[in-house]
Amino acid sequence: MFDRRLVSNFDWGFFLIIFFICILGLTILYSAVTAGYAGTALHPLFKKQVVWLAVGFAIMMGCLVIDFREFAKLHLLIYAACVGLLVATWLVGHTGGGSQRWLVLGPVRIQTSELMKISLIISLASVYADSISPDGLGFRHLIKPAILCIIPFGLIFIQPDLGTGLLLLLIAGCLTIFVKVEKKVLIILGGAGLALVPLVWFFGLKAYQKDRILTFLNPERDPLGAGYHIIQSKIAIGSGMLTGKGFLQGTQNALSFLPEQHTDFILSVLAEEWGLAGCTVLLALYFLLLFWGVNISYNCRNMFGSLLAMGITIMIFWQIFINLGMVMGLMPVVGVPLPLVSYGGSSVVTNMVGFGVLLNISMRKFNTA
Amino acid sequence: MAATPCEKIGSRILCIRFFLLLCLVGIIIRSFDIQILQGEALKKKAENTYVRRITIQGDRGLILDRHSNKLGASIEAPNITADPTQVKNARQAADQLVKILGGNRTEIEKKLSRERRFALLASRVAPAKADAVKKLNIVGIYTPDNSKRFYPNRRLAAQVIGFTGKDDQGLEGLEFSYNKFLEGRTLKTKEYRDGQGTILNTGKNKRAGLKGDTIVLTLDKKIQFFSEEALEQAVKKYRGKSGMALVMQPATGELLAVAHYPEFNPNNYGDFSRSRYRNRTVTDAFEPGSIMKVITVASAIERGMSATTIINCENGNYRVGRSVIHDTHPHEYLTPAEIVKVSSNIGAAKIAQDIGPKAMHYYLKAFGFGTKTGINCPAESAGVILPLNRWTSIDAVAISFGQGMSVTALQLISAVSAIANGGKLMKPLLVQKVLSNSGKIIQTNNPCVIRQVISTQTAGIVKKMMAGVVQEEGTGTKAAIPGYRICGKTSTAQKAARDRKGYSHSRFTAAFAGFAPFDNPALAILVVVDEPKQNHYGGTVAAPAFKDIMARSFNYLNIPPQTDMVAALPREVLHAAD
Repeated sequence: MFDRRLVSNFDWGFFLIIFFICILGLTILYSAVTAGYAGTALHPLFKKQVVWLAVGFAIMMGCLVIDFREFAKLHLLIYAACVGLLVATWLVGHTGGGSQRWLVLGPVRIQTSELMKISLIISLASVYADSISPDGLGFRHLIKPAILCIIPFGLIFIQPDLGTGLLLLLIAGCLTIFVKVEKKVLIILGGAGLALVPLVWFFGLKAYQKDRILTFLNPERDPLGAGYHIIQSKIAIGSGMLTGKGFLQGTQNALSFLPEQHTDFILSVLAEEWGLAGCTVLLALYFLLLFWGVNISYNCRNMFGSLLAMGITIMIFWQIFINLGMVMGLMPVVGVPLPLVSYGGSSVVTNMVGFGVLLNISMRKFNTA
Repeated sequence: MAATPCEKIGSRILCIRFFLLLCLVGIIIRSFDIQILQGEALKKKAENTYVRRITIQGDRGLILDRHSNKLGASIEAPNITADPTQVKNARQAADQLVKILGGNRTEIEKKLSRERRFALLASRVAPAKADAVKKLNIVGIYTPDNSKRFYPNRRLAAQVIGFTGKDDQGLEGLEFSYNKFLEGRTLKTKEYRDGQGTILNTGKNKRAGLKGDTIVLTLDKKIQFFSEEALEQAVKKYRGKSGMALVMQPATGELLAVAHYPEFNPNNYGDFSRSRYRNRTVTDAFEPGSIMKVITVASAIERGMSATTIINCENGNYRVGRSVIHDTHPHEYLTPAEIVKVSSNIGAAKIAQDIGPKAMHYYLKAFGFGTKTGINCPAESAGVILPLNRWTSIDAVAISFGQGMSVTALQLISAVSAIANGGKLMKPLLVQKVLSNSGKIIQTNNPCVIRQVISTQTAGIVKKMMAGVVQEEGTGTKAAIPGYRICGKTSTAQKAARDRKGYSHSRFTAAFAGFAPFDNPALAILVVVDEPKQNHYGGTVAAPAFKDIMARSFNYLNIPPQTDMVAALPREVLHAAD
């Protein structure tokens, strides 16, 4: 089952892109956590991230072992397991920052909603691979996917972690549109969605969430409160200018003006210290990664594999785009980490699983049956 | 076989590639916008967030006496400042601050709400208050170090030293005239702080280098204290309006004490009448009275009058023009020494007539009267010596016993010192030197001879006459100190009448000037009591204070009694001296 052709088909290019992003990510993280750190040894957060990345690579390799088509057969099982984890999180999860998002297993804390993303993509890809048609999907085709989406969304929503929940729906929605939906269905659903916006604004959003959106529209509304992140981030990025202030020379970073500089706002550290040049390099690597993902989807001879690859690429795309948009002041502040660069174990593991699956598909693209 | 995914989704993949490219371009454009187009502005904004322009104010320099005792010092008194852009809740912060600092809540809130980077909320507060403010831990509120003037000896030499105002600027006395040296330097610098508002680089170490210069006075804290005590006693005992006392080293012109009564406390000068602030010994001119007879006699002897001349004192009534000059006790014939000893107005008048107004005017000027001494105290008065062409016939004689002219106490003590030191008029000194922050000498005021007014010989003769004043039957016997030969001269000057021409018969200036020991005068002392009510004779009112200051100073300075004087003492006193 593991023949030599697989090894020769290994997608080295994709692997190298991931590797380079990780190296760049670690460099930025080093600067972000070293700022204002008095110790002489490496910062513990940096060491932890190195370990997470190593673990991530191991998991990625682990994902290669099983033929991706096995996932289609097992999708309901995986889905059930992940929903189980979410339920467990709801019941016994660790509370932090006002919401119950983590499941503590010995020394590690897992953000179970992250794993749910991959699981949902696998299930949707499996369902859509059977129902895809040139005319698009009708309402009856969408019942099953809708149920698959609503359960995890509900569980994440009650944590509460609206951001991740919406991201889940966003990924599912994009994948569905990619598969093609009947025009009629699209118009009705779109209309219903728009009608929901005012309802959600007045009844669904908490005060702090409204605050974030208003602040995004006008950061100077409250420069020391809700607007602080956006303003400080913009200041840090802007002050980097073309070539930046140099490695470890970022004042806004070192003087801890930057909020969450090692997690969600890590791009501002890069922008401050490496300038537009550094940003462009990272952006180029990311978009190379995404193009590669689209190519894997395009080149796959198996419908399930193709949709799965596209789903994962969509997931990575939205993470990158939302994070960049937030840091550059194009979007409201939502807690989405930058893949492979932001500090955080769950994010690393989820993304590495995703990349593993992509490599898996890429490796076996000629297997059609 | 079903169509390959390629055929089903191929066109859509193309759309997606295009979409991705669009996103990439979009984000790079946004990056370019922020980093290049807005870059400069944002860079400045970045700097603004961690750099704060501040002004550091150094301590005011010290004022020391001749033995480096602190007369003026600085104590810690931090400012309370704010960076209003950093203060999140101005109302709440103002509430908390007012509880500690007092004052008006709305005013502080207004200051905290301004779109500025700096606001001074309170200057020079007690350290305990600043600590309390620090404990509030309000982001954007700072307590930079500062200091305020403090006078550890309170009233001691207050009129000489003066004081500073709220902003620590010298307002009176030496604090005013030496303000340029004393004031702490300011440094405009940058302060760095991090996102929590913690200041990374405090100006603390920089402040030490900004301290103002130190001025070292010629005053001696101890002698100043003796003088103030004796003066207060005299003024209180004889119910005078005010008084002043000066102690000078005749050889150098250095002032060892400049005392005033009534006193004030420069630490809370606002609680005292303004009239107490000024250094009257320099600013106020008064008619000196009989002490001037010494100057008249010295001038005459310098002009060649024999010390053995016999002068007819007209039995107490002597008509000059339309005025009549009186003596308190009628005398017939007196030598110059006797004229000084019993203080005869008529004798002095006749001597003045003998040498003529021109010579009188010349010697008055030579002794420094009518000219500012240039001592560098604010508002120095020159006194009044009318120009010669405006002297009336009565002026020419009245001046011989100290009427129709005015002098400052400083001029008077300088002139008396000139007789003590062998005829040299010394420039009076109050500031010995100015030291920089690092201890380097910036300015030294060495003793300075203005001129040799009279010969050493003349000075010696006059000195002897002045010794007679303190001896039996002289007017100043109350100034005598057993074991020492004291030279002196009393003065009981009528003050000009307020409501008519001529002189008052109830308001006097009682004074005593002198020096000792006879052979090598170490101290010259002048005591002036203004308008004593109990008794108005200089020999009664001022001489005891003179003696008190002199005796205590001799003891303090270890100046031994003269042996020949000890031998002359009556037996029982001799035993006591043993």
